[in-house]
Amino acid sequence: MGVRDSHGEATATPDPVEKGFATLNTIRIGVKAMVQKDGELRKAEILSIRQRKDGPSFYVHYVDFNKRLDEWIDSTRIDLSHEVEWPQPEKPEKKKAGPGNKAPSKNAQKRARAGSREVSATPDLLTGKNTNIGKAQRPSKAGGKENRDETPANLSVLDSEAISADVTPKPEMEDVDMIGVSFTDTKEEHEQGKMSREEEIERLRTSGSMTQNPTEIHRVRNLNRLQMGKFDIEPWYFSPYPASFSDVDMVYIDEFCLSYFDNKRAFERHRSKCTLVHPPGNEIYRDDRISFFEVDGRRQRTWCRNLCLLSKLFLDHKTLYYDVDPFLFYCMATRDETGCHLVGYFSKEKDSAEGYNLACILTLPQYQRLGYGRLLIAFSYELSKREGKLGSPEKPLSDLGLLSYRQYWRETLVELLIEPGRESMSENELAVLTSMTEKDVHETLVVFNMLRYHKGNWVIVLTDQVVEQHNKRLEKEKIKGSRKIDPARLQWKPPVFTASSRTWNW
Amino acid sequence: MGRTRPKKLTSKASIPVVREHDIDAIEEEVQNALQQIETGVEKAEESEFHLQAAINASAQGKVNEAHIPTPETVLSSLRYDELYPPIFSQPATYIRFSSTVEDCCGCPYNMTEEDDVFLKIMNEKRDAADRCTEDQFEEVMHFFEETAQTKQPFAAVDNPPVLSFTEIQDAMDAAVEESVKRFAKDVYEHWKSRRTETGNRSLMPSLKFETGQETDDTDPYVCFRRREVRQIRKTRGRDAQSADKLRRLRKELEDARQLVALVRQRELARKEMLAIERQVFLQRSEVKEMKRKLNLKDDDEDLINQKPKKKPTEAPAVQRPVAPQLRMPPKAGTQAAEDLQLLEDVQAEKENEILRDINQNIAKHIKWNEGYVDFTRAPLSPSPERTFQAAFRPAITAQLPTPPSSDSSENMMDTTLDNPSTLSLRDKLAPQTMVMSDDTSRMPSFRRRIGRGGRLFIDRRNLVSRCRVELDPWKADRFKYDQEDSDEELDFERDQFDIHIMQHRAIMMAKARDQAAAAAQAQAQAQRRLQADQTANNPGQTMGSNPGPGAIAPTPET
Repeated sequence: MGVRDSHGEATATPDPVEKGFATLNTIRIGVKAMVQKDGELRKAEILSIRQRKDGPSFYVHYVDFNKRLDEWIDSTRIDLSHEVEWPQPEKPEKKKAGPGNKAPSKNAQKRARAGSREVSATPDLLTGKNTNIGKAQRPSKAGGKENRDETPANLSVLDSEAISADVTPKPEMEDVDMIGVSFTDTKEEHEQGKMSREEEIERLRTSGSMTQNPTEIHRVRNLNRLQMGKFDIEPWYFSPYPASFSDVDMVYIDEFCLSYFDNKRAFERHRSKCTLVHPPGNEIYRDDRISFFEVDGRRQRTWCRNLCLLSKLFLDHKTLYYDVDPFLFYCMATRDETGCHLVGYFSKEKDSAEGYNLACILTLPQYQRLGYGRLLIAFSYELSKREGKLGSPEKPLSDLGLLSYRQYWRETLVELLIEPGRESMSENELAVLTSMTEKDVHETLVVFNMLRYHKGNWVIVLTDQVVEQHNKRLEKEKIKGSRKIDPARLQWKPPVFTASSRTWNW
Repeated sequence: MGRTRPKKLTSKASIPVVREHDIDAIEEEVQNALQQIETGVEKAEESEFHLQAAINASAQGKVNEAHIPTPETVLSSLRYDELYPPIFSQPATYIRFSSTVEDCCGCPYNMTEEDDVFLKIMNEKRDAADRCTEDQFEEVMHFFEETAQTKQPFAAVDNPPVLSFTEIQDAMDAAVEESVKRFAKDVYEHWKSRRTETGNRSLMPSLKFETGQETDDTDPYVCFRRREVRQIRKTRGRDAQSADKLRRLRKELEDARQLVALVRQRELARKEMLAIERQVFLQRSEVKEMKRKLNLKDDDEDLINQKPKKKPTEAPAVQRPVAPQLRMPPKAGTQAAEDLQLLEDVQAEKENEILRDINQNIAKHIKWNEGYVDFTRAPLSPSPERTFQAAFRPAITAQLPTPPSSDSSENMMDTTLDNPSTLSLRDKLAPQTMVMSDDTSRMPSFRRRIGRGGRLFIDRRNLVSRCRVELDPWKADRFKYDQEDSDEELDFERDQFDIHIMQHRAIMMAKARDQAAAAAQAQAQAQRRLQADQTANNPGQTMGSNPGPGAIAPTPET
C-alpha cells in the first residue's frame, strides 16, 4: 500500500555472510541464530548474554520484529541444529572468531563508537554491499579512538532495516548496555537526513524536539517488571531510571505522582505519605469518562520527568536527553473514588517551530486497545482547532502511532466526506475543518486509495471499503456509545509564553 | 487512455466526492504510480513484520486484524485498596492545582526493610515514651541525606569519606526539628553503615544528571540535561539590568529571611518569658501555701509582680498603654498602699514627660528649619543660635603676600623653600586682614546655602567693612575709587605659574588654614563655654531670644 517495499531487494540478497554451526559456548554477542518463538523458528540476534546458576541466558532481538518483543531466553530455545550467522569478522581471512578469540574489548564503554563503527561515507558504501561496509569500518575501528568528529555523515536518521540487520555490532561489545544500534546508509537515504550526533544534539537543544537520536537507542531493556496501580506491566524499551533498578525484579511506580521505587517497603511508606490524587495541573476537560489535565513541564518538573521516564519504557524513539521545560503535558485520566488515574498523555511543545501539535503520545500499556489513543489524538486536534492552527504529530511515529494516526485520519476525513449533500471539497477545506495539515489530508487520501485520477480529473472516491468501515464504526458506537471529545467541555485558552517566561518562568 | 501526466492538484482545488461505483476502475495503475507516501515511521522499522502485516490488513479493510503484538500486562497481586485509599471526591468545577510532587509527598526518604530492623532494635532500647516513630526516623535519615548532599555535592565524582557526625551536628540549625536532634545520634551509625555499603552514594535512588564530565554525552543513563535557551541579544545594559534584578531579589529575600528570623527570635523570647512568668507564679503560690500553713496572714500580694523597680505601674497605665513592651496581660490590681506615695511621682513624671515632649518637638522643629531663618515675630523655632553659628564658617582669608618681583626670581631659588625666610617675608607682607583677634566670633564669616529653585546664596556677616568709620555714604562713595587705585598701584608683572610662586602660595595656604582652624576651634570652645554659662544662668531665656536675620546676627553678648 502506502509503504512501498523499496528495500526488499536488499533484504533478499545479502552478501555472503559467514555461517556455521555454533555451540552454546561459541555463541557470542552479535551472532544471529534461529530461535524458537511462539512455536516457530525465527532468526534472532544475540544482544546480551548473562550467566545464571542454571546456565546462560540470552537477550535476543528477533530480526524484523519490533524491539519491544526482544526478550531474555534460556539456551534451550536456541536451535543449534541450524547454522548461525557470525558477526562481521575482524579480518576477512579470519574465518571464524572462536570463543578463545575474544575480540578486543578496548574501551567498550564508549557508545560513541556505536555510530562510528558502522560506516564511513565512502562511495562504495552506496552500493549497499555489506562486505564493503565491513571493511570500510575497519580503519576507524582499529584506531580505537573517539572518532566522533569523523562520523558526521555516517549516522543517517533514516535507515534500511535490511542492511542494518546484516551489519551487526562488533563482537567486542562486551558491555551489553553499551551497545548502540547499527546504522548504515543505503543509496536512497544517503542523500537525505544525514545528521551527525553533534547536529542532532544541537537540533534537540534548540528545537525542543522530543525524538531520539538513533545512536541513543539502547538495545537492552533495563527494567524487568513494573508495578503500577492495579497492574504488573512489562516494559518495552530502555529508560534511564537509576542504574541500580535493573537489578531488581520489580520496580514500583506510584500511580499518581509516578515516583519510582526499587523497594516494596519504601514504596508502601511513600504511599502512606503521598497525597496526590490526580495529575498535578489544571483540569481543562471533563466528560463522563475522562478528564484532561494540562501540566507544565517547567512548573511540575519532577512529575513530568517521572512521566517521561515512564513513557520512555514504551516509546522507543523518545529522548530524555534534554529536560522537560519546553513542553506542556496533556494527561488523560479516568476517575474513580481513589483519584484520577493516568491513562495516557501527549506532550506538546510550548512553541513549536515546525508547527507540530504533538510531540510524544502514549496510552499506558494497561489501557491500550480500548480506544483511548484515538481520544488522545482527537484531543490534540481539538486543541489545534482552539488555537486556530493546523497541526501534525512530530516524526518519527512509532508503528503503533502510525496505525492509530492513520485510523484517526481516515475516520475523520470519511466522516466529513460522507456527510449528505457533500459534492466536492478541496484538501484545504478538509484541513481547516479537521486542523490536520494539508499534507496529512492528502497523504491519507492517497494511502486509502481515495484520491484518484479519473478521466482527466481528480476525484475523491469514497471507496466501498471505507464506507463499510465507517458504517461498522457507527454501529459499534450505537452499542457502546460514542467516544468523542466534546469541544464544549474544553475549558482552555492557548497558553501564551513570552520569551522570558519560557526561559525564566517570570 | 494515453499516459498523460495527471493534472497538478492544488490544495485549494475543489475535488468532487464520488462513490466507488460512480467511476470505473481502469486507471488503477496510474494510481499506483502516484507518489510514495512516507509513513513517518523510522525507516529501519518500516519493514517490521507486524507493522507491514497491520498496514496491509488495514489496506484491505480488515481493521481488526491490524494488530501489533505487545508485551502483556496483568493484574497485580498487590493489594490496591490498601495502597490507594478512596479519598478522592470530585469537585463540581474543574480542578485547578499547582502543588508539586515534592509538596505532596511528605518526607522524601522512605524506609526500607533494613531500616525497619534497625528501628525496631533501636526502639527496644528506649522506653515506651521515648520511641522513635517511623516518620521521625525518616526525618532523621532525610536530614542526613540532605546534609551529605549539601556538604559533599560531588560525592558521586570524588568519593569523599562518609560525613562525620560532628559535621552533621554542625549543620543542625534552628530549622531542624527537635525530634531529629534527639534521635540523630542513635541513627547516625546506621546511616553511616548504609552509606558505606553503597559507596557513599545517596540512599535514595536518583537519576543521573549532568556531571560536567566527558562521559556525560554518551552515558545513556544521563538524562534531562539542561537545554540551552536561545540566546537573547546580550548588551551591557541588559546585563546590568538583570544583575540589578538579581541583586534586588537577593536583598529582598534576605530581608524577608531576616524578618522571619527576628520574628522567630521574638516569639522565642516571649515564650521564655511566659515560662518564667509561670514559674514565678507557681513559686509564689507555693509561698502563699506555706504562709497559709504557717498561719501568716496577708493578702494576695505575693501572687503578683511587685518588684519595686517596676515603678510605672497601674495608676498611669489607664492613660497610656505600655507601648514598647511585649504585650503582656496588664497586671491587675496593684495595692493601694503604694499608690498614695506614688501620686507625686506620677505627677512629676507627667510633667517631665510633657517637658520632654516639648523639647523633642523643638528639636524636631529646629531640624526642619535647619538652614532657614525664621523671620516671624514669635518664631516657633527657638533661637537656633548654635545651628546657625555652625552653619557659618569663618572666612579665613589667606591673602597671598605679593611675591617679590620677578626679576629677583633667581635669587629666590635658594630662599623660597626656606621656611623661616618665607615666614618673615609673609610677616612683612601680610596685610591687616590676616591679623586674627582672639575674639574669633568677630571674624568675617559666610555660609552657602541653596534656596528655592536651586538658587545659590552666600550669606555673610561680620564683614570687616572698610567704611567702619561712620562716613556719610555720599562721601564714602566719593572716595571709593581713590582707595582702589592706591591698592592697585603696585602692579607686578609675574608669572602666575612660576614654580616658586606656586610653591610659596601652597605653603602660605596651608599655614593659614592651620591657623584658621585653630582659631575656629578656639572660637567654638569659647562659645560653648559662653553658652553653657548662659543656659546655667537663665535657662528660660534661651528659648525666647531671637537672633534676627543671619546676615547681621550679632554674637550673643553677655
